[in-house]
Amino acid sequence: MVKSISTPLRIATMVFVVFTAIFLLAPLVVVVGVSVSESQFIAFPPSGFSLRWYEEVLGSDAYVGAAWISLRVAILVTITATVVGGAAAIALHRRKLPFSSALATFFLSPLVLPTIIYAIGMLMLWSAIFGPVSIVTLWLSHTVVTIPYVVRTTLAVLSESNPFLEEAAQTMGASRLQRLWLVVVPQCRPGLIAGAFFAFNISFDEAVLALFLRKPGLTTLPVQIYGQLEFSPDPSVAAVSTIMIALTITLILVIDRMLGVQKFASA
Amino acid sequence: MNDRAENTLLVLPGLALLALAFFVPITQMLILSVSGDDGPTLAHFTRFLGDPYYLGVLWRTVRLSVLITLICAAIGFPLAYIMARVGPRLRLWLIVLVILPLMTSVVVRTFGWMVLLSRSGLIPDMLRDLGLVGRNFAIMQTETAIVIGMVQVLLPFMTLSILGIVTRIDPRLEEAARTMGCSFLQSLRTVVLPLAVPGIIAGSLLVFTLSASSFVTPNLLGGARIQVLAASIYRSVTQTLDWPFAAAQAVILFVGILLILVPYARLAGGRSNG
Amino acid sequence: MADVRLTQIKKSFGQVEVLHGITLDIVSGEFISLLGASGCGKTTLLRIVAGLEGVTSGTVEIAGRDVTELPPEKRDISMMFQSYALLPHLSVSENVRFPLRMRKIGSRDEQAEKVRDALETVQLGHLADRKPRQLSGGQQQRVALARAIVSRPQVLLLDEPLSNLDARLREDMQVELIEIHKRLGLTSIFVTHDQEEALSLSDRVVLLNGGKVEQEGAPSEIYSNPATGFASNFLGAANLLPATLSQTSGGRAAKLEDGQVIPIEAGEDGDVTLSLRQEDATLCADGEGALSGVVAARIYLGARNRYVVKVAGHEVRVLTGTEDVFESGTRVGLKIDPARVRVLPRD
Repeated sequence: MVKSISTPLRIATMVFVVFTAIFLLAPLVVVVGVSVSESQFIAFPPSGFSLRWYEEVLGSDAYVGAAWISLRVAILVTITATVVGGAAAIALHRRKLPFSSALATFFLSPLVLPTIIYAIGMLMLWSAIFGPVSIVTLWLSHTVVTIPYVVRTTLAVLSESNPFLEEAAQTMGASRLQRLWLVVVPQCRPGLIAGAFFAFNISFDEAVLALFLRKPGLTTLPVQIYGQLEFSPDPSVAAVSTIMIALTITLILVIDRMLGVQKFASA
Repeated sequence: MNDRAENTLLVLPGLALLALAFFVPITQMLILSVSGDDGPTLAHFTRFLGDPYYLGVLWRTVRLSVLITLICAAIGFPLAYIMARVGPRLRLWLIVLVILPLMTSVVVRTFGWMVLLSRSGLIPDMLRDLGLVGRNFAIMQTETAIVIGMVQVLLPFMTLSILGIVTRIDPRLEEAARTMGCSFLQSLRTVVLPLAVPGIIAGSLLVFTLSASSFVTPNLLGGARIQVLAASIYRSVTQTLDWPFAAAQAVILFVGILLILVPYARLAGGRSNG
Repeated sequence: MADVRLTQIKKSFGQVEVLHGITLDIVSGEFISLLGASGCGKTTLLRIVAGLEGVTSGTVEIAGRDVTELPPEKRDISMMFQSYALLPHLSVSENVRFPLRMRKIGSRDEQAEKVRDALETVQLGHLADRKPRQLSGGQQQRVALARAIVSRPQVLLLDEPLSNLDARLREDMQVELIEIHKRLGLTSIFVTHDQEEALSLSDRVVLLNGGKVEQEGAPSEIYSNPATGFASNFLGAANLLPATLSQTSGGRAAKLEDGQVIPIEAGEDGDVTLSLRQEDATLCADGEGALSGVVAARIYLGARNRYVVKVAGHEVRVLTGTEDVFESGTRVGLKIDPARVRVLPRD
């Protein structure tokens, strides 16, 4: 902190930070609290302690099935978005293609368009051509919205790498494929990893596309929770939500191990 | 194979995917928004713009989004500044503080607010105990609930946008300002704030867009009575099954966002260049 | 080791021709410097030899084989980059092994042996397992050198590899480069904008200007006999004075623009440029020297003084000892040995 700041200001700053922290974390803490309550009803602070709602969740076909779908979609999306977005970023970084800056804008455009607008379009197009939606619809649309993240993180990493590495490898006898695989891809690694985490997190937590592109038997975890919240919330929702929060925390820890959270946050 | 061929091969999968699974659907939606039983029509638009109910929904959406954006900026700027200037350990914790909610599903966070704001929830209870509000006081199903929930959902976006810019401001500029007689708060206002404007603008554009187009949090916290535009779109798609009307509303939403954002971005661009 | 022969190399970027037909023969084992200011085309020429840049016309031959159309990986060369271009994800030894791996030179064991040798040559054997970012700039530079020599290429290309080092490290590296070149005898092409570096390292210096060869020759020859005003200016911070050479009553002499006259034996009659190195003149009292001028500035350099003297409207720099001091504004004489004055054609 900048020195020479008066004490009242210092205190005001601390109060501000504490209040903001409470505001940001309160909903998460409350969800965790409700999930261990003994009560039939959603109540915070919780009355008693019990893990019965977790048992109920793990025994529920609806939740387990939804979790399975979410996980499958998220893994598929992570792989495709990372490969497709990473490859595109490598080519975009070289700026050798015609219209390369227009192309870069094109690849980032899903970030700008509100997801709800895209979701309607996807639903309408899919229904018109293929009929009922399927897991493929969800896979493709999640890939579309996560590709820009991979492209952005990979481009950011590449822009900081030494521009002469590829040429140097060439003067050392590396063929086209060897240059790509042994020189360029290793340079992209941190960007690809960050992008992959974004893709997984967004796909797994995403509710808008998943709500529009659902049908019986194609319900992701966030959609299942949303449905429960609209109609008959009980503490089992809190238990599922807590599991999702735990997953997020795990993800953050892994990210910090692999890249450092700070770097990830600035991507 | 030459360089051109290699680069083309690398972008091609992404290009094809985005073209077919992003631009074609949006085009399809645009076409649907002007299609009626007897060929092209603007009927869906006139229906929306001629109905006071829908105009009310539109006005509420704009009003709430502006409010949410302003509150996010008011909290996000000082938070980002503090994050940029504290020591590395504390900064790490503050970043986690911002990232953890950001990476948690919106559905889960909204659920937390439902619990906190419900009639017997912690916050109304506390307000009643303090005697600040009456017995029948409720926050759930009000615009206030939507604003509280949305600010918590979107504050991380604003904070990170501003943080990206503020960390690049040289602290020596503030020290220089202090040596020229500025108080701390004056240096914040005359040095840091103007330099942070691009971040505040980027954050505001993002928060406004996300806020105007979200329906999960408004639906769950505001209930069926307090409709925002995105929620109305969702209802047209899933309940009334009036897809052309949903498409028209989506177009109105997007055009509305552009109408507000483009002048704002231009104004801001002009300012930071001047 | 091999000859390199460049014939009528022309290169255009879009409409702009940056190399206007360069022909150069480099004999096997020679250390040659391409010297010139930025934008003279020296790096482009080097990149053409490497194959990183194509030619607009002309041919490149290495060891008698036309390689003009071959990509870099098919040419037996290696190149040291200004930014070193070490692969950051590989360790020092993996970096040095990279060209052997790519060019499939030797078995794994032989490669390890060669890597060890190369690292010993640059005295970095103890850092083999470090990552490049854990090394200092000077150490990274040595790794780049080891990597460039490990495969014993036919041609070693060096693109201003010393320009990122501080002055002391630079001198050490120059000595090391000379020794390594002597030991391995690799045909080497060295690009630099620093004339001292070019003069001290090379067997031959090629001075490039505006995409053309201005002059080439052994360092001593090119330094003492610059052929043009540009060469003389670039190579020794020489003073250039326009003059007219003619036969006068007292013998042949050059007449400056203000009428002062110095006896000159060399050159042909007519308009010329006189070139005079700053260390080849001394100051004396007015009237005692061959020329006279007014001191415009004195710059104290520690062991020496540098004077800027206005002679015939031109600034002449003179490097002298510190014994005599002439203040600004004083009229002084310049003592010059006429044999040291070079007569160049007027540009």
